[in-house]
Amino acid sequence: MAEYHLTSPLTNEDVSKLKLGDTVYISGECFTCRSRLQKYIFDEKNVLPFDTKDRNILIHNGPIVVKEDGKWRLVSFMPTSSIRFEKWGAKSVDEWNLKMIVGKTTMGEKTAKMMKKKKCVHVSPRSVSPNLWIDSIEVQDVYLYDELGRIEAAWFFKLNDLGPFIVDIDAEGNNYFDRLDKDIADRKDAALKKLGIDETFEFTKLY
Amino acid sequence: MIKTEIYEQALFETIKRGATEISPDVKDAFIKAIEREENPDAQKGLKATLESMEMSKVRENPLCVDTGWPIFYFKVGNQCELEGGFVELENAARRAVARATELGYLRATMKHPLTGYDPGNNIGMNIPDFTYQFVDGDFIEMSYAAKGGGSECFGGTRHRIVAFADGIKGIEKFVLDSFVASARAGAVCPPSVLGIGIGGTANVAANLAKEAACLRTVGSKHPDPMFAKIEEDLYEAINSLGIGILGAGGSTSVLAVNVEYAYTHIAGIACATSTNCMVARRASARIDADGTLRKMTSPNWFGDR
Repeated sequence: MAEYHLTSPLTNEDVSKLKLGDTVYISGECFTCRSRLQKYIFDEKNVLPFDTKDRNILIHNGPIVVKEDGKWRLVSFMPTSSIRFEKWGAKSVDEWNLKMIVGKTTMGEKTAKMMKKKKCVHVSPRSVSPNLWIDSIEVQDVYLYDELGRIEAAWFFKLNDLGPFIVDIDAEGNNYFDRLDKDIADRKDAALKKLGIDETFEFTKLY
Repeated sequence: MIKTEIYEQALFETIKRGATEISPDVKDAFIKAIEREENPDAQKGLKATLESMEMSKVRENPLCVDTGWPIFYFKVGNQCELEGGFVELENAARRAVARATELGYLRATMKHPLTGYDPGNNIGMNIPDFTYQFVDGDFIEMSYAAKGGGSECFGGTRHRIVAFADGIKGIEKFVLDSFVASARAGAVCPPSVLGIGIGGTANVAANLAKEAACLRTVGSKHPDPMFAKIEEDLYEAINSLGIGILGAGGSTSVLAVNVEYAYTHIAGIACATSTNCMVARRASARIDADGTLRKMTSPNWFGDR
């Protein structure tokens, strides 16, 4: 598995070379998003008040940010579950021209299909380590703070080699976890057998 | 009589400790998992998580950005007297949660379920949640657990009535199926502390599962060999699956499997699971009748386990 250090704005070439399971570190400008932002834009028909052209990395995250002496200070950061945004995933990739989404729990087939079409990848953390990350993140600005609140606002971050993340959806729409699922299913059958539960076992249906 | 200012300060300090300091038993489980882990990337992930958690204590910041549902458990002596009574205890807990949120130890995470309104202090209808256990004595013990959205929202809490005809096999298959589904792609933030409730009505099983996940000392065993065997068998079975830290592959998928039980109806066995995320945040403290406060390293909710 290869390791890459990429800088935003990402190009098609940057993301097309990434393979499932590769490790990436990211630098440059990005923005945060939770479902409230996507609902506000796509369902409630508001206009995104910033341009994503030079900021084409979206991090699914609700950070803890406090204001001290007129400056923002990031207290904690951890990518959150992406799958809950699946409803707007394809639209976000398409309309915001995203090249990378950072989040936990990967995303579904509809988003993966759009990622293939538009050349975009999804990457996941392999640890819960906010303190190893916050020093690599500079808080630049915030949009929609009043409308969406402190957690669900769109925060502008400048990243300095933030990572590691693993590529779990590549720019061809393949999913790392789909492949892992098959191995886990095989091992589960073996584990059940060891517990004395073979393939003939069926739950008695009570309802 | 225990003064309000004493128990309110104890509540605040317990919340802060639960949010920012790794429990000693969880730390031990991490150290063992790092030694045992066979996947080098997963091992790096476990090390990075432990390193970050150690830094939280120094930096006094949350162990994870999602500071979860604020949940309180009180073990109360039958002769315990609190200034203002138990209504004031709950008011003090709400004030302590609001203060911890204002100071950045907790994220403002609790919202109105329909409107999405964010009060900004984690206080709202039926939140925080309070559970009581009454025992002999004149003291009060308090545990604060922060139940994360990942472990709670993405399938970590499940329930099924298993027929007596299916017995232990049915219970174990239900648990294994549930855990694999909920840990996919790291949804419940594995390696988990997996709590299992067996028996009672569905809500009793679910409460036991949550308490087994949040309040048992990691590494403890059920004193009844029948239940200890289920814990051990499922621990081995789940750790053989290769799910790993955040579901990306590895040999550590659970830090512990804890089972608690209640008697059940002749018609069926209610079974419930509750996963706690790897950070497994909690803290406990005890106040004696004379107002002496001491930190507890274990919640003592299930006695010495």
